[in-house]
Amino acid sequence: MSSDQVATDEVAGAPDAAPAPEPKPGRRIAPRWLILVALVIVLDVIAFVAFPQVSKTGEAECAFPACFIENSLEFPAPHPVLDLAPSSPVDPAALVTFHPSISNTLLTMWIVMAIVLTGAILMVRGSKLIPGRGQNLIETVYEFLSDFGVGIAGPAARPYIPIFAAAFLLILFDNWIGLVPPVGKIDLLRAPSSDVNITIGMALVSFVIFHVEGIRHLGLGGYLGKFFPIYEFRNGIGAGVIALFVGLIELMLEFVKPVTLSMRLFGNIYGGEVALGVMTTLTVSFIPVALLGLELMLNAIQALIFSVLTLMFIVLAIESHHEEEGQVAEEALDAIDGKEPSGLQPAH
Amino acid sequence: MEHIGAGLAALGVFGPGIGIGILAGMSAQAIGRNPDAAGQIRGIAIILAAFAEGLGVLAIVVGLLAIFIKG
Repeated sequence: MSSDQVATDEVAGAPDAAPAPEPKPGRRIAPRWLILVALVIVLDVIAFVAFPQVSKTGEAECAFPACFIENSLEFPAPHPVLDLAPSSPVDPAALVTFHPSISNTLLTMWIVMAIVLTGAILMVRGSKLIPGRGQNLIETVYEFLSDFGVGIAGPAARPYIPIFAAAFLLILFDNWIGLVPPVGKIDLLRAPSSDVNITIGMALVSFVIFHVEGIRHLGLGGYLGKFFPIYEFRNGIGAGVIALFVGLIELMLEFVKPVTLSMRLFGNIYGGEVALGVMTTLTVSFIPVALLGLELMLNAIQALIFSVLTLMFIVLAIESHHEEEGQVAEEALDAIDGKEPSGLQPAH
Repeated sequence: MEHIGAGLAALGVFGPGIGIGILAGMSAQAIGRNPDAAGQIRGIAIILAAFAEGLGVLAIVVGLLAIFIKG
């Protein structure tokens, strides 16, 4: 306790002891920022007066915190834009329902896909040896992603960098479009990755990709041998049973992968939107800007994580499990080279 | 009742918080000890933080389900 007291005293006393700060050269910008902040507050008050909150549940008055928050939250299930099966009603209390419809998240995702695709095509069309501005940008992005992916997943990941980069860009803009104001506030548009259906779809795509790649590289027998290692019985009954058990656990983990992939993305983006909505309703409108900046960064990291995990799962799937069979000669040589001096190598 | 359940589910965020804290401290230590490998360590730290954070997000999802899906 006493040490805390001393510390705070020191902090409190510090400005007195320090010489008065000189006026900084950037001081002249300050009035402009003050005017901006004042404008935002005035706009906030006008909006608050001109567009009063209406209770969704039909009550007469809208009490400040609860009803306001209720209005700014979005339900986890998306709003259907085009109902493909209007005759079958949806049970609102059910956790999992099947109802074919084109939801607002799907529509937004198509818009994002169109934007990203046209942007990428326009930027790389007519590629030159000396790149223009657009080509430069996309080359920088691709090189960064390529270096990052290869640095994390190893040189075996090089053929899969295009999948990784495409997934990253799509998910990045899927996440970011939720921060653009009209998206998420009107029924037609909503951030695609804040809908669990979309993220499960993406996770299933990556699930199919890494299993297909694993079978393509190891063959069906070799790939199944990862999960049902019957050949281990050569080393005795005990080793075989243990290997079979480990293989079963690995098989179960394969099905956990898409679940965690989809839930991580959905939870982060949806949780972020809920937090942003609550902050926006409870405070003056320029305070959530800090949270908005945080969300901008977190969304980018989530996109990176989804795509990097996809890449790593592919690399894990294509590498063979055991040394005796299906080993590429180069990898074996590397292993032999690396095995002897590994304890002696200097850290670099 | 649902709200109490949601609050209890949100307690699940404690664990990943501690985990990410340990991970961040350790990776900062590692970078300080070996600054040349900073890029590599940072990449691994981000991925591992995502793994730890995924568990916290599962807790949040359970809480949201408890609030929104009233059986």
